[in-house]
Amino acid sequence: MTVTQTTPEQRRGSVGRPFAGRSLNEIGLIAAIVVLYIALGSTAAGFLSLDNQLGMLRDAAMVGIAAWGVTLVIIAGEIDISIGPAVAFSSVLVAKAAAEWGIGIGPAVLLTLVAGAAWGALAGWLRARFDVPSFIATLGVWSALGGLGLYLTDALPVVLPESGLFDVLGGTVLGIPTPAVVMVVLFFAFAYLARYTGYGRSVYAIGGNAPAARMAGINLARVRVLLFATTGLLSAITGVLLAARLGSGNGGAASGLEFDVIAAVVIGGTALAGGRGSMLGTLLGVVFITVIGNGLVLLGVDSFLQNVVRGVIIVVAVLVNVVITKRARATRET
Amino acid sequence: MAADVASGTTVIVVDGVTKHYPGVPALTDAHLTIRQGEVRALLGRNGAGKSTLIRVLSGVERADSGSVTVGGAELADGGVRRAAELGIRTVHQELSLVAELTVAENLYLGQWPRRGTAIDYAAMRAGAASVFQRLGLDIDPSATVGSLSLANRQLVEICRAVREQPQLLILDEPTSALAAAEVDIVLDTVTRIASQGVAVLYVSHRLEEIRRIAHSATVMRDGRIVDTVDVGEADTGRIVSLMLGEAATAAARPPERHVDRTGVPLLSVRGLAVPPKVLDVSFDLHAGEILGLGGLMGSGRTEVLRAIAGFTHAAGTIAVEGHTIQRPSAPAMKRLGVGMTPEDRKDEGVVPLLGVDENLVLSKFDTVSSGPTVLPGKVRRAAQQLIKRLSIATASARTPIVNLSGGNQQKAVIGRWLHAGSRILLLDEPTRGVDVQAKAEIYRLVRELADGGAAIVFVSGELEELPLVCDRVLALREGKVAGELTGRELTTDSVLSAAMAA
Repeated sequence: MTVTQTTPEQRRGSVGRPFAGRSLNEIGLIAAIVVLYIALGSTAAGFLSLDNQLGMLRDAAMVGIAAWGVTLVIIAGEIDISIGPAVAFSSVLVAKAAAEWGIGIGPAVLLTLVAGAAWGALAGWLRARFDVPSFIATLGVWSALGGLGLYLTDALPVVLPESGLFDVLGGTVLGIPTPAVVMVVLFFAFAYLARYTGYGRSVYAIGGNAPAARMAGINLARVRVLLFATTGLLSAITGVLLAARLGSGNGGAASGLEFDVIAAVVIGGTALAGGRGSMLGTLLGVVFITVIGNGLVLLGVDSFLQNVVRGVIIVVAVLVNVVITKRARATRET
Repeated sequence: MAADVASGTTVIVVDGVTKHYPGVPALTDAHLTIRQGEVRALLGRNGAGKSTLIRVLSGVERADSGSVTVGGAELADGGVRRAAELGIRTVHQELSLVAELTVAENLYLGQWPRRGTAIDYAAMRAGAASVFQRLGLDIDPSATVGSLSLANRQLVEICRAVREQPQLLILDEPTSALAAAEVDIVLDTVTRIASQGVAVLYVSHRLEEIRRIAHSATVMRDGRIVDTVDVGEADTGRIVSLMLGEAATAAARPPERHVDRTGVPLLSVRGLAVPPKVLDVSFDLHAGEILGLGGLMGSGRTEVLRAIAGFTHAAGTIAVEGHTIQRPSAPAMKRLGVGMTPEDRKDEGVVPLLGVDENLVLSKFDTVSSGPTVLPGKVRRAAQQLIKRLSIATASARTPIVNLSGGNQQKAVIGRWLHAGSRILLLDEPTRGVDVQAKAEIYRLVRELADGGAAIVFVSGELEELPLVCDRVLALREGKVAGELTGRELTTDSVLSAAMAA
């Protein structure tokens, strides 16, 4: 085989270069979002209002914060389906700790974040040490935390005590919803992590070819434990923010969130097979999903029917993405 | 050597076939005829156009111009289906069997015989058994493919093509993954297939195989067919010079290197055992020395390297610079300067989606980072230095590594350990599946690294290359050192006899 000439432009989109990434998929997503904005702006009353836009930012944070971590998990060739119940349980845990255990607000938040990292690390350890498929390990977390959240609360909301910290977390910073600020800060942190740290590059290497990464001396077990500890932590952060916003912890909250997160990541161009993906793509996927969800509500679509429409749109988006990627690769290879 | 086939009827005529990829003339004005019962070798370095020719013949690619006719019928633009109709069958280098299914099911993959709506397993087994019987093979049609040896899997792959009674059978390096002892049965089978009237186009890098089974050899270079020679008459030097295009000298044993073996050895292995494959291996390796490990498939070569690199637990002791390593884990051995390149470049060596640069620095991020931050500039500089030092042919440092030839990928995998500053390099089959010229470059590179003070263990199943590279060779047999060869005693013959003889 001779050396094939490949320009830097051609390869950027395929491998995570969050800032330089201008792949077809990302351009396509931006175009789709623009089209959605124009369509919804002209048909859905109040879509372009400041209130609605800020509300969308708040909604985006629910999906986005966890999605940054799940992007890395999927790039590494793994999956984490525990997000929804993990978020719900975190909201219960922080509320219980703050309202009933008398340990103070700050420690209650800290406890929740540590617990999140811990159950994530447990799932990662099961994957790394015993080769339990990550789907199953996180399914266990999904089921256990979902059940625990409801059991501890009898499925009733646990009201948060009054606190300045919760007011800030549930409120705004300079007019921007706090969760959105957290999401954006974490986005840059994760884009940096993915592109500019040995850990991030190891994640791509493991997803691209795990045996080769192992032969190169990368500690697979360590990376895998960290990956799931990270998503656990991000779920806990989302749960705390959710509790602060609602003023209570709720064992039944965030139902189905895990699938929004995975959909956002995959729409963003991250390959479920691993090795390929970018934070920028996921960001666009999060925006895409959020705008559609918001638009369907504003258009007054029946809430059961919303799920149908969302399902169709998500599959079509991924389908287009796959077709584009295939075509781009085919032109590159001939 | 096979009987006279000059009288056989012509099976396939390739007339003036040209195929250009954007910017690259992959195949130019190719002419070729093969007769019934003939085994035609197809030779050429990687990139010479062999793969393109095969792709055109099997209908995967359309020729830009020219024609391919089989028994008078033209392939035209019919694609894969038309090629199959005409009786062209190709066995690719990578096996395409389903390991969980039985041999018979694989033989009939996708075309399972049916009785009514149910699959007729009895007919399938009988059909498979008759193919094996015709070719004199002893393979159980009911065994799962996963339980077979590599050689038998290759035979099943070939038999699948044979079952469909091809006119032309194209075999793309069917023996490249096999050890010498296993090659024989594949070669015998090919000879038998040809004797039953099938035309065979046989691609291989191994000249000695071609001498055994082929009647004639077509040599390609730079997308053109340069000559078709009678294998019996052309000597190796002539064939090699046709392949390389310039007056290439047959590889001679390079001058002996002086190795100072007086000090403390850099690596010392005593009584290494990884049952059942490795039972008792001991050796000392000094800085600047190249030690070959030779042996047949299953002699435990790879297992020895993996144990030293800390990937598998082993009995016995391993010492680096005289210090015994208590628990030789992979991270510990890496810190001590041990780097191993795997025999399976594709599965364990490269990360295909990443660029050459990132593949090179994968072993160590510290030296290209500031604090926790990996600096792209440093990565690029480090990569470019290694690319230059190892003469890796790549369009740029960021080119995805899969776009490189096998030899250049191999250099990058070795370069990864130079980046990590490793002093003890364990190279497992570093020349597997690379062309003649790339092999020579890898030999030279290995010797340069040793001249620079690295201690190298060079593992190869192609025993004839060990004398070309190594200062000293240990022949392994059934997990033990069966012989040590140096100086004048070190020849292909001596290594082979030590590896085989009781």
